[in-house]
Amino acid sequence: MKKRLIKLTLLIFFICLAVTSFAQQQRFPKPEFETGYVQPPTQQPLPRALFLEYLDVIVLIGALILVSWFLLKKRSRQGVLWTSVFSLLYFGFYREGCICAIGSIQNVALAIFDPTYTLPLTALLFFLIPLITALFAGRTFCAGVCPLGAIQDLVAFKPIELPRWLQKVLGLIPYVYLSLAVLYAATRSEFLICRYDPFVGFFRFDGTFQMLLLGGLFLLVGVFVARPYCRFFCPYGVLLGWMSSFSKKHVTITPSTCIQCKLCSNSCPFGAIEEPLLEEGKRRSNVNRLMTYLILIPIWMGIGGLSGSMLHGTLAKFNKTVYLAEMLVQNPDIRFNQENIDARTFMQKGKTMDELVVDAQKIKSQFYWGGWIAGAFMGLVVGLVLVNLSSYRRRNDYEPDRTNCLSCGRCVDYCPVK
Amino acid sequence: MKKDKQQNSRTSRREFIQKSMRLSMGIGLAAVGGLVAFRVHADDTVWQLDPFKCVACGRCADYCVMTPSAVKCVHAFDLCGYCDLCGGYLKPNANARSTAAENQLCPTSAIRRKFVEEPYFEYEIEEKLCIGCGICVEGCTAFGNGSLHLQVRHNVCVNCNECSIARVCPADAFQRVPTSQPYLIKGEWTKDQDKKKQSPTG
Amino acid sequence: MMTINDKKHLARGLAWFGAIFSLVVSVMLIANYFQLKSVDPLESPALKVLVEQLHENPHDDVLKENIRALDLMIRKAYFTSQWQIRTGTWMLILGVLVLILSIRWQKSLRNELDELESIDKNPFLDKQLARKGVIYTALGIFMLALLSGFLSGNILDQYDSTKGQDQEADSAVEIIVAKPVEQNSETIADSSKSVSMQEKTSDEIVEVPINEELDKKEEIESKSEEVKKIKSEPTVPSREQIRKNYPFFRGPDGDGMSYKTGVPKSFDGPNVKNVLWKASVPKHGYNSPIIWNDRLFLTGADSEARMVYCFDKNSGKLLWESAADNIPGSPAKMPKVTEDTGLAASTMATDGQAVFAIFATGDLIALDFEGKRLWAKNLGVPDNHYGHSSSLVIYKNKLLIQYDTNKGGKLIALSTADGSQKWETTRNVKISWASPVLVNTGTRDEIILTADPLVAGYDPETGKELWTVECMMGEVGPSVAYANGLVYAANEYATMAAIRLGGSPEIIWEEQEYLPEVASPLAANGLLIVATSYGVLACYDAETGDKYWEHEAASGFYASPVYADSNAYAIDMSGKMYVIRMAKEFELVAESNLGEKAFGTPVFSEGKLYLRGVENLYCIGGN
Repeated sequence: MKKRLIKLTLLIFFICLAVTSFAQQQRFPKPEFETGYVQPPTQQPLPRALFLEYLDVIVLIGALILVSWFLLKKRSRQGVLWTSVFSLLYFGFYREGCICAIGSIQNVALAIFDPTYTLPLTALLFFLIPLITALFAGRTFCAGVCPLGAIQDLVAFKPIELPRWLQKVLGLIPYVYLSLAVLYAATRSEFLICRYDPFVGFFRFDGTFQMLLLGGLFLLVGVFVARPYCRFFCPYGVLLGWMSSFSKKHVTITPSTCIQCKLCSNSCPFGAIEEPLLEEGKRRSNVNRLMTYLILIPIWMGIGGLSGSMLHGTLAKFNKTVYLAEMLVQNPDIRFNQENIDARTFMQKGKTMDELVVDAQKIKSQFYWGGWIAGAFMGLVVGLVLVNLSSYRRRNDYEPDRTNCLSCGRCVDYCPVK
Repeated sequence: MKKDKQQNSRTSRREFIQKSMRLSMGIGLAAVGGLVAFRVHADDTVWQLDPFKCVACGRCADYCVMTPSAVKCVHAFDLCGYCDLCGGYLKPNANARSTAAENQLCPTSAIRRKFVEEPYFEYEIEEKLCIGCGICVEGCTAFGNGSLHLQVRHNVCVNCNECSIARVCPADAFQRVPTSQPYLIKGEWTKDQDKKKQSPTG
Repeated sequence: MMTINDKKHLARGLAWFGAIFSLVVSVMLIANYFQLKSVDPLESPALKVLVEQLHENPHDDVLKENIRALDLMIRKAYFTSQWQIRTGTWMLILGVLVLILSIRWQKSLRNELDELESIDKNPFLDKQLARKGVIYTALGIFMLALLSGFLSGNILDQYDSTKGQDQEADSAVEIIVAKPVEQNSETIADSSKSVSMQEKTSDEIVEVPINEELDKKEEIESKSEEVKKIKSEPTVPSREQIRKNYPFFRGPDGDGMSYKTGVPKSFDGPNVKNVLWKASVPKHGYNSPIIWNDRLFLTGADSEARMVYCFDKNSGKLLWESAADNIPGSPAKMPKVTEDTGLAASTMATDGQAVFAIFATGDLIALDFEGKRLWAKNLGVPDNHYGHSSSLVIYKNKLLIQYDTNKGGKLIALSTADGSQKWETTRNVKISWASPVLVNTGTRDEIILTADPLVAGYDPETGKELWTVECMMGEVGPSVAYANGLVYAANEYATMAAIRLGGSPEIIWEEQEYLPEVASPLAANGLLIVATSYGVLACYDAETGDKYWEHEAASGFYASPVYADSNAYAIDMSGKMYVIRMAKEFELVAESNLGEKAFGTPVFSEGKLYLRGVENLYCIGGN
């Protein structure tokens, strides 16, 4: 009885709402036609069906299993190559680059920090499944599933080897990119990774000039520096690298025992093969150096956090609200400039300047604390990279560097041991 | 012999570290999954714009990743007054109320004006030609019922993870809506308040 | 059968072909992109110019044909270039595909594995170098971040909410020249004269200008006592004085009633028939003249300056001009206004001692009759997408300003003496362009305003809202008309409503056939006349709303019709003036041509008619 009463009142409430909003709109009432005119329907073409979105997830799982099988069991570069061509066609040209695991980082970050955001299950799956796979089989996602990787892999015709130090320095960029992407997603500012996705324009045959130019440049550089985006920009690669370095299984250069033939030493276009290291150097100085860099980690984190927090003002400028607020505070006259769409709309909406400034300050303080965290993270990364660079671990054989190895399987073909 | 043993202990220690790190990575992933689990929705989302927030600034035409834009003008016939003097179709101070090019507001001539009966005219959008500039929307909202309004058309939209128009929309009119209710068409939407309650974030 | 070498040749040839083809296509695509960028086909300035020309010559069929042809061409170019881009993209993809495949083929033909060029490796030195590189890079980046933090201050800290950068700006009253009128001897002379003159009969006034100089001196001496009186308290002109003059927009009450008889009916501008004088106005403005005694005032503005002009109404001589500049709060950059509104759309007002002018910048200025500034202030730049156009009106010692902007509506009363605020009433309305109308209902004085959605009456003494009727919609331009206890409010795309005042005002009839867009309705003789912007004059019964007649004019009306000597005077945009008997039967008394476009309402004074064209000011006499 009570329930029905509530329903009834709700119904009346809704009818009233509908009537009032309707009445406000209708300046000229709809005429009553005498000629039997039939009003055409307003077309509503439907978006892609939901089950197809789940089909993408199934294709993702299938492709990952296939690539892992090709690498770990069949040891077949050809298989990986053709799977990557399929992935390029499916996730790239058919799905037009969206949804992608790289971008899903931001969805997850936004879901953690924004309580009003609902995370589609497909986005979460696209985030988790490649990572879980990497935990068991290495970066097989990079090898044959990621369309961004595949398109670069296809054009890597004349790769050159970069000096080690350059690789390490450039290898810091993905960490910066990752922390910025999470920071901007968490503050609800924007999705940085998607905005600067270099290849999505190709996948759609459409895009802004800058986007296509960026993609073209990446491909051009990619002819000589193999897969530059994957190695020196991809933020998802950072996460995959973490997983891969502790993975249960990983592609190996040789199926049984390494015969030290050195045939594979110049095979990896990504510089991800570690050569044997038989001498470890002077133990004492090694330990001392390692200890120094370990102690230095908190200091790096402190410096990083401080500089991150100092940078927050600059970073926050890219937020829409902060940008508007700062513009209007600096030049109050812009408020009356009808040419400026943002200012005009702000004035129309009737939000007061005080409210805008308060909102902007809130976002800035988010950026301040986010800057501390992101900076400290960068400091930690620098510290750990240095620790890693000062430890000398004895190694007898040619082995893939698990963190940076993209599991493409090229080296497998070079090994004479069958 | 001794060296071998040393080697073995070293390997087993390394393996132990590997294992425990793998475990903690797994736990980390599970934690992230668990953290967002209660915000997960089985339904997907698509982008749509709230026509009541829209100020017809014209950015939809310029900022969409698709050319022409996936945002198009749609016509809620229920709200239309079928006016002869249509603020969305005719230029202000139009020379005559006719379909001649000099009188049309639409830069691509995407609105078709059809005579219904004295003195009423029907206005229909030809979506192939529409570029989503919103000039007609501005006119219709200012002088008429506001039956012409912009909507993301999902047969064109590629559903970017973050809509590039949403990033620049001055009125914050763009929002993610559930795939099952992908439109916020004015007439139906206003009448069906039930939907309106749910729509913004699902 | 092809030999290996043939195949290699073929593969190389294909690769070169693919590369060159892709290069050519991408160069073409980039060229196409920049071509599109440089001439946005949908914003063609040429088309805009043509449409603009069509506004001026609405019947030019050749022009229409040209527009149609150009429009078609532009749209064709736009869609063709899009097709080109799509096709070009496909060709590029094809070229790149050929390139990639042929290079792969070439490689497979070589039948050997790729080897990178090896570089020297030394694990110890490499790592040492890498450590250095990482440290220097990290330190460099962190330093840059710190530096940027030091360099960029927090801009938001500059914001001071108490300073009132927001709407509160207008509360900061600043008076530049607070000199009272009486301290200026010239003004004393003038105002004393004017006051004294009011006491004479109108016949005598006509003679005054001839002996102006003499009279002035005599009067200064003889009326010194009166001067003292003025000094002690600012006099408020009597109702008779006001009615004899023409102090506001649309006459002494602002409702279109001129209270003048024996005024000219016809003239011929181009052939100078009945034109007593003609004077060019330096700066343009859509406002109408006001007249007090011998002086005629109007304003003109452009982005350079906002000016008040004073003419001798008898000779047409420009007596003085005064700029509304150096006003605190006045915007450095002009607010955006449309061409058909401009920066000086509001008509001035006078109380016989000072003249007041407002501009679309929100600048309000008070001048004495010699052009000396008494006070000035900025009311806060009105947020108005066409330009502020509500005219001023004065009630006793209060200057009343209707200030309905996109940020909300208000009615402001300022002291005529020093510009200080007497009261301010917030109005729950949207933006409007109408002007206030003073009405005496028989029991009280009211000031009546119209805007979307309210027609409302206010007590001019206190600003108290007396009544409201919700009936208006849209961008209200026309002010109300009033006669016999009935208020008439109208707006195009909305309605025309007759509201009977009384205990609770109510709408007694509504009509939608002919609605004005800019020109205000005129009520007199039991009739109501509206002038539409598409050129129809229509006459209704004031009590019932029955239509008596309609008349199509040569052009649309922006100028409000005015009543004088039992006739309605209406001038259309092309400058044709119609004098129509205010009667149930249509009777065109006279039709005259000014010879230039006109937007200001006709103004009457002492048997003469004053008209403002877009460039010149005319004084019409005779008949």
